[in-house]
Amino acid sequence: MITNLNPHAVEVTLCNQLGYERIAMECSASFAKILGCPADRIEDLKTVVAEAALNAMEHGNKGRANAKVTILMDFKDDTIKVDVIDEGNGIRKFPPKPDIAKIIDNMEPPIGFGLFLIQQLADQVEFNQRTDGGHVVRMAINIGRLG
Amino acid sequence: MLHRNEIKLEQHGSVTMLSIQGDITGFSEPFLNEAYKNADTQGASNILLKTEKDIYINSGGIAVLIQILAQTKQNNQLIGITGISDHFKKIFGMVGITKFAKIYDTVDEALAEMA
Repeated sequence: MITNLNPHAVEVTLCNQLGYERIAMECSASFAKILGCPADRIEDLKTVVAEAALNAMEHGNKGRANAKVTILMDFKDDTIKVDVIDEGNGIRKFPPKPDIAKIIDNMEPPIGFGLFLIQQLADQVEFNQRTDGGHVVRMAINIGRLG
Repeated sequence: MLHRNEIKLEQHGSVTMLSIQGDITGFSEPFLNEAYKNADTQGASNILLKTEKDIYINSGGIAVLIQILAQTKQNNQLIGITGISDHFKKIFGMVGITKFAKIYDTVDEALAEMA
């Protein structure tokens, strides 16, 4: 479900199904385009929204079919802020930065790319437990910065 | 939901091109693995992965591609990638894929260098 809260805010609620992160991704791209965001930053935004929604579905909601993922997008001061909210308990232990050489030599599993990309592409990232339950990943993309 | 990739194998001289249709995600694993195994069985030494323009590649797809790179390294094969957007060229650089696979702007450029 997509709700246009006001000219500078959009909310998307997704069922917990892999693949549906694309709805949030495309919605974020349309939102950013309307706001005049440069094309390269729109691509960064699409990736961080999709990866945060995927993590919310897989790890936060642990794949539960009846769980929801909510994405809130808000624009202020040249910055798009995105909250991705799931029903889980957050990240207990952050995976290390993926080391592709070790992965290719089967010394490490091929995991942690989503979180790594979020941290690389977003200008700011926070991971917070919500007081009313669930977990939120809060990301900021400055639309004036070159990607 | 439909999650599948059509992958055609084309021989261009010494280069075996895997022409991938569709997005590359975690769901692509069986399709890419099968295509790679077919290419390997046919004795491929130089492999070019060609994607469609403007596809969606997520972290699960990156993991699948890295597993293919691992197999090409084990089998002493040269691998290249073409077709991806500038955004995914940047992403592939960030995660280190470009250390193990050269990215080409066009098929012609890839074939000229890899053959």
